[in-house]
Amino acid sequence: MLSTNNKYVGLLYLSPALLFVAVFVFYPLVQLIMISMTSESLLGGGEFVWFDNYLLAFSDRSFWMSFWFTVRYTLIITPILMILGFLLALLTMQNRPLAQLTRGVVFLPVVIGLASSSLLWVWLFNQQVGLFNKALVDLGVIEEPLVWFNRANLGMTAVIVSVVWKVVGFGMIIMLSGMQSISHEVVEASMIDGASYWQRVRKIILPLSARAILLATLISAIGSMLAFDQFYLMTRGAPRGQTFTSVYWIYQNSFVYFKLGYGSALSIILMVVIMAGAALQITLQRRGETA
Amino acid sequence: MRRSKMLAVALPLAVGLAGLMTTTVFAQNLSMWVRESAADPGKLMVDLWNQTHEAQIELTAIPDNQLVTKLATSVRAGDAPDLISFDLIYMPDFMRAGFLADLTEQLQADPNYETHIQAYKDIATYEDRIYGVGFTPDVSILVWNKELFRQAGLDPEVPPKTIYEIHDMATQIGALGDDTYGFYFAGSCPGCNIFVTSPLMVAGGAHILPRNGEDAALEGDAIREVLDQYRQMWEEGLIPEAAEVDAGENFVSAFTAGNVGIAGTGGFLLSLMERQFPDFDYGVTLLPGLEEGQVSGFVGGDVVAIPTGGANEEVAREFVTWVLSDEAQLEGLAKNSILTTRTDLADNEYFAGNEKVQATAQALEAGYVPWVFRFADMVNSDSSPWINMLQRAIFDGDVDGAIEEARARMLEIASQ
Repeated sequence: MLSTNNKYVGLLYLSPALLFVAVFVFYPLVQLIMISMTSESLLGGGEFVWFDNYLLAFSDRSFWMSFWFTVRYTLIITPILMILGFLLALLTMQNRPLAQLTRGVVFLPVVIGLASSSLLWVWLFNQQVGLFNKALVDLGVIEEPLVWFNRANLGMTAVIVSVVWKVVGFGMIIMLSGMQSISHEVVEASMIDGASYWQRVRKIILPLSARAILLATLISAIGSMLAFDQFYLMTRGAPRGQTFTSVYWIYQNSFVYFKLGYGSALSIILMVVIMAGAALQITLQRRGETA
Repeated sequence: MRRSKMLAVALPLAVGLAGLMTTTVFAQNLSMWVRESAADPGKLMVDLWNQTHEAQIELTAIPDNQLVTKLATSVRAGDAPDLISFDLIYMPDFMRAGFLADLTEQLQADPNYETHIQAYKDIATYEDRIYGVGFTPDVSILVWNKELFRQAGLDPEVPPKTIYEIHDMATQIGALGDDTYGFYFAGSCPGCNIFVTSPLMVAGGAHILPRNGEDAALEGDAIREVLDQYRQMWEEGLIPEAAEVDAGENFVSAFTAGNVGIAGTGGFLLSLMERQFPDFDYGVTLLPGLEEGQVSGFVGGDVVAIPTGGANEEVAREFVTWVLSDEAQLEGLAKNSILTTRTDLADNEYFAGNEKVQATAQALEAGYVPWVFRFADMVNSDSSPWINMLQRAIFDGDVDGAIEEARARMLEIASQ
């Protein structure tokens, strides 16, 4: 049982972190909620409108189009990132020189800025001078160079390729940390019992690194739901606004159309949806663990 | 003795320090923001001012897509720069928001303002008050590749005079073979197209953007005609396939690559061609309409204004007056192959004998600029009704549906 003095000392130690969270998280969040209930413009002015912005958002076809596009993007890219990340983690699990080198090479793009890598890929996908088209034509996969960003599905494919290259190493490292924390005794015991490699992967490595996989999935899914830079730089919403993501649409409203109040309301809606999704994912995982 | 030695050291030191302090207090250095894409001509003007004035201006280039946000937040925070140069189309929004200082009395008393290009006067006036002047001007023009004209059997000295002639000539140039195209436009660039495509419509008598919910939007046969001609050229393969996704990256380079016959562009191309492609044989003319004699252009470029709350407003006002002076217009703009913003100086020693610049100067006088609020919403954004109309009409082929949809959306925006 802590004495009152000890409680105050504990609070004192916590206070810098609490202050940081209060100033940089709670205060902006409260401000955001307040602005979302006004018709405030970036150019000034505006009045309190209660929940009008939220009601407007529910009938905003463009917002929901961008939202469902973002969901589709997330549902496609997350499994790719997780499966590839898991396989790469398996491949580089041993601390041998070649595995360590592979780990370093795969992780390298993670340290490049997303904007820089997106610009690099815009050039690689260029119809006339891009290396990607040249490689596909030379390999006989396509007959003529493709214009990658004039169709929504092609544009999204191009973005997915670029993002997978950029962030797959991050998931790999998280899963690798989970795998390397598995006790050697458990693995060795299974080998003595005659378990094959894939049996060990399925029955031991996968379940015992489940928490790391959940963490990587959460980070990846939330990151994908908040996608902006890659689409802003690569597709610019083309064609006909079909590749707008939710955050891109929020940016458009807030800073291009000057509708700060409405943009704030859309941000709150997106935040609630992401929080609900993350909570559901964690709950399902916990149920799976206790079952 | 010791005291006099100390004085001998201390006195010059004190005088020096006082001098330094005086310089610091009274030098009145000004801060100025300029949008990145207009930073080069802006720097030429500011350098000239700095050479001849005691008060120095420090120029900061701001990325184009951040300028509005930065200005809005800085004015609201009371931390605005002393001067700002920005895309003229934001003028109505900024004037209405009260972001800019009123320059009416000063400019009305300035004889140089009388010959200022009318389009700049119009865009910088709100409720009979004046808030800025044209700074680094630009205007859209039509350019044609004379070498390709020769190869196609066309007279290289005769440019197209109607949208139909553009189509006919583009067909002949396109027939030269693979990788040669008759025409080019950046199909995913709303700003580029309001600049070079809308004047074709306006020259033909169309009215594009509504000023309010009751105003006309996309009215006139020229809109349908121009879109239809573009659509046909696209279907006939006279426009490169990559044009559909060009968000402006190839707006200039598509023409300078040498395999495009005709394209709309801006006056800025002239100085670029002089510097980088001095041997490129091309011509400059005004953007035509549906019939011979119909011409127009979109007056663009930057205006200079004084944000409210700046610390050095008096000197900033001097700069605005100086921008319209003979010195700034001739030595800052004309000498660097940039158009002047005064009609009485369009015919000057630097432009003498240069047909291309003279044609561009004519376009500046004949050009238009739409005075509307929320231009970004209606035109410049990646999902604007303007760009959606162009893409749906030209690439999908639904010309009438595209116009109807865009008109309804523009009126909705204008009425908000």
